[in-house]
Amino acid sequence: MHKLLRDKKIIAVLVLPGLLVFTFAVFLPIVLSFYYGMTSWSGIGKPEFIGFDNFRKLLFHDKTFWMSLRNAIFLGIGYIVIQHPICLAAAIILDRLGGTAEKIFRTIFFIPCVISVVVTSRMWVGIYDPQYGLLNKVLDLFGLGALKQEWLGNPRLVLWSLLVIIMWQGFGWGMMIYYAGIKGIPEELYEAARMDGASGIKLYTSITIPLLQPVIRINMTLAVIAALKQMETIFLTTNGGPGNASQFLANYLYIKAFNSFEYGYGNAISVLFAAACLIAMILLNRLLKREAIEY
Amino acid sequence: MMTNIEISKRRSRFSKLFLYGILVLFSVGQLFPLVWLIDFSLCKSGDLFGANILKWPDPPQWNNYVTAWVDGNIFQYFINSLIVNVSAGFFTVLFSLMMGYAFTRMEWKLKKSTLTFVLLGLMIPIHATLLPNYMSFSYVGIDDSYLALIIPYVAFSLPQAVYLMTGFMESIPRSVEEAAVIDGCSILRIVFSIILPLTKPAVVTILIMTFLNTWNEFIMAATFLSSNTFRTLPFAVYNFAGQYASNYAVQFAVMNLVALPSLLVYVVMNEHITKGVTDGALKG
Amino acid sequence: MKKATGLKWISLMLAFIFMISLVGCSKPTPAASVEETPKETPKDTKVTIKLFTNLPDRASRQGKLEQLLLDNYMKENPNVVIEVEALQDEPYKQKFKAYASGNQLPDLFSVWGQPSFFNPVMKAGYAAELNAADYKDYGFFNGALDGFSMDGRLFGLPRNTDYMVLYYNKAIFESNGVKVPTSYEELIEAAKSFRAKGIAPIAMNGKDKWAISLLYQDLVIKEGGDQKLIYDALNGKAKFTENAVLKKAAEDVKLLMDVKGFQDSFVAADYGAANNLFAQEKAAMYYMGAWEVGMDSNPDFSDAFKKNVDVVPFPGLQTGAGKNTDLLAWNGGGYAVSANSPVKDEAIKLLNYMMKPENWVKNGWQEGLVVPGQKYDSFLTGNETNLQKKLTDILSSSTSISGTSWNDSLTPDFKTASENISQELAAGMLTPEQFLEAADKAVAEASGK
Repeated sequence: MHKLLRDKKIIAVLVLPGLLVFTFAVFLPIVLSFYYGMTSWSGIGKPEFIGFDNFRKLLFHDKTFWMSLRNAIFLGIGYIVIQHPICLAAAIILDRLGGTAEKIFRTIFFIPCVISVVVTSRMWVGIYDPQYGLLNKVLDLFGLGALKQEWLGNPRLVLWSLLVIIMWQGFGWGMMIYYAGIKGIPEELYEAARMDGASGIKLYTSITIPLLQPVIRINMTLAVIAALKQMETIFLTTNGGPGNASQFLANYLYIKAFNSFEYGYGNAISVLFAAACLIAMILLNRLLKREAIEY
Repeated sequence: MMTNIEISKRRSRFSKLFLYGILVLFSVGQLFPLVWLIDFSLCKSGDLFGANILKWPDPPQWNNYVTAWVDGNIFQYFINSLIVNVSAGFFTVLFSLMMGYAFTRMEWKLKKSTLTFVLLGLMIPIHATLLPNYMSFSYVGIDDSYLALIIPYVAFSLPQAVYLMTGFMESIPRSVEEAAVIDGCSILRIVFSIILPLTKPAVVTILIMTFLNTWNEFIMAATFLSSNTFRTLPFAVYNFAGQYASNYAVQFAVMNLVALPSLLVYVVMNEHITKGVTDGALKG
Repeated sequence: MKKATGLKWISLMLAFIFMISLVGCSKPTPAASVEETPKETPKDTKVTIKLFTNLPDRASRQGKLEQLLLDNYMKENPNVVIEVEALQDEPYKQKFKAYASGNQLPDLFSVWGQPSFFNPVMKAGYAAELNAADYKDYGFFNGALDGFSMDGRLFGLPRNTDYMVLYYNKAIFESNGVKVPTSYEELIEAAKSFRAKGIAPIAMNGKDKWAISLLYQDLVIKEGGDQKLIYDALNGKAKFTENAVLKKAAEDVKLLMDVKGFQDSFVAADYGAANNLFAQEKAAMYYMGAWEVGMDSNPDFSDAFKKNVDVVPFPGLQTGAGKNTDLLAWNGGGYAVSANSPVKDEAIKLLNYMMKPENWVKNGWQEGLVVPGQKYDSFLTGNETNLQKKLTDILSSSTSISGTSWNDSLTPDFKTASENISQELAAGMLTPEQFLEAADKAVAEASGK
């Protein structure tokens, strides 16, 4: 048995295919990015080595870089403060419902998550359109015409408008995770609490939410990472505009590389971007104590 | 226990109604935009500029869908999506199964660090790899091919899949295989004929997670692919927005057609997907 | 637990791969998936030419013309297959750079004959040199080939003449009793009147950003009457912050913004959205290039719109030194052939075929799809559409021409920066002063490299 389990050839057969693919498409790019990040390559011709100039410029002179980070933080806070309480509430209500209704609503809530971001993003561009958009028409219908806005055109509003899109797209995911967590709480615990006289909302604040701590922690981490990684929705709606008011790191690096020919610079952003995600992950794990992701 | 139920009964009818109200409100919020999308995909393009929120399509412009289907290349993109995603799901399961076994059962020196290395992938954002991957793919000559998507899709699905798989395998008692080893089975036989059937739930979860993450993936598809021959479904929308800039109804029709397959899969496999998502999310 | 139906065939597939991997395990790296590369090898007779174009609308406008010529060419040369990949401008540029960074440019591709776009391409040797003598009889306008040449060598051909004009909707003007503007002051007044009536004055594709930076240059031309001024500012001979004309033009943009001259959310509107707004008769005017000459013959648009659309030169300021006939005009869009193309000669042949006067120019003009970059007077039929006639008049009566616009005149990064600040100026995120400072900074950064 032990001899078999130590057979190097077999281990290689088992591990190498996956490991090679992983290394080639996930790890190697980061190394390459680091190299190209130290060049002033325009994407065309030969790269010229310039050391850490790009990184220095990014960290100390690039307003857009910090703006992108700031926007990610805004989005992350939006997730945590607005989306997640709603998700949690929906999950709790769903759990109370039981039966077919529970299943139906659960299905409905997750529908936007199975539709391509390309579809939902373009759909929201339509919804926000000031000329034919659904949102302004609905406001008109309720006599709230005065509230009509340039949803994606107003630099002060654009992040909020995007937050709504992104929350709409991600609502199902967030809810489903809480829902799973709630389902994992044994019924006996509720019974015991009821015996002790707890009921209604108190039942939830004293049993469900404390027991959901690990799930909440996971969800928070996921939320922050998702906020940092945000790209597709931005790319497909505002492309970071107006100006850079809704810029995000991933989109910024894309613009730098593919619009400005600043390929080296774009790669430098890639590296800092990956680093930011890593740091956020570590910080969150520290901050939220205990192993949020338990490996 | 009985008393508890009686007490809460009176209250619960009231609050249940209230809860239903909230859920219906949420549902409308989640679904109405889609209804709007479907509605106007059946109207004439100019109808969208009318004052109504919804408009009864009279008569329904099914033609929009014909145009969308034909000019949007929907069928070909769909087949491409199918090829890419089935392959990605297949290889993700295969690799995670093999790696999972090596990580949980086999004994080798670099086991721990290799596992950590792979799991680090969970933190690496896809978008940070776009530029370098585009270059290395063209260098190897696999840009603009199915492989240009299958490889990164598998690579980015692997960390979570390996994580789920190792977790699951730890819970399988070793006694099962020990008997097989004594019978003289090779390791590969054990992995595929004994372990694989036992890991079915993990396999399903991995397949579902991979499907959800890759079926609708857009930015890599847009960056790595250039020929219509290989493009996947989400690209149809993007492509079409340019070609039919002046016809919103047809654009909406394309969007609906692109959304349809995954929606159908979801409705049919609802239970599995729900379970897959919750397992995947909680453990990944 | 319910039984998964798909599991059976998954197990089957896994079993299958198991057998394969058993065979393959003697090899050191069984990552077979990485090795094979499906590369097409052209057969002796069949030639496949890949065309990458920024004209995704194949049913109208220039895209229709391009497709028509391709179809004709394939009919005449049955051994040639042309594969078209088409994207809108912005995605096109992004994808183009992705191709260029991988040195994988398609055989024939669209280019813009402007330093910000084409210079790096020519410098890197990605574009095949064309034989200038071949085009003696093509009738290209004077200077039309400049942006496509470097050190006296020719690398591309322009397909049309671009100049910015103001399209407007006659019916909307008439029914609201607004006068068609002949000066910028009147334009502002008109915008005010339309706003008061709840009509979007000017359709603007603000998300694309470049149109706003063109508007700024147009105003510089019309304020100062000096086409060279803005380029002086790019060369360091003048400063945006110090020159009165450059400053006034920025304030003029602000003036139009103050009366909400563009449609709501114009900064979020891409090309299609703005174009559609005007074509759906929801906006009174449309600031756009002469390449929209086909609007009044586009089958996608309503007959009412086609009857109502008209065009005037972009109106300058009464107080300005420039005239309405001083045009912001250049030869931008065109084609080039990839230097590494395996079918380079075939691609050049195709390009030459397409750009022949009796093909691109004749068909383009007579179908009302383009204003060519080549002489087209011999193809006038007398049946030109209203837009064609007016646009021809505007071009032929022009008193001066700018050449490549300012945003395209330096580096690609300057293009991004200058267009970005133009958008920010229009969105009210920058004051005119801040805009001018930012413009100087962008110039400094671009010339520092």
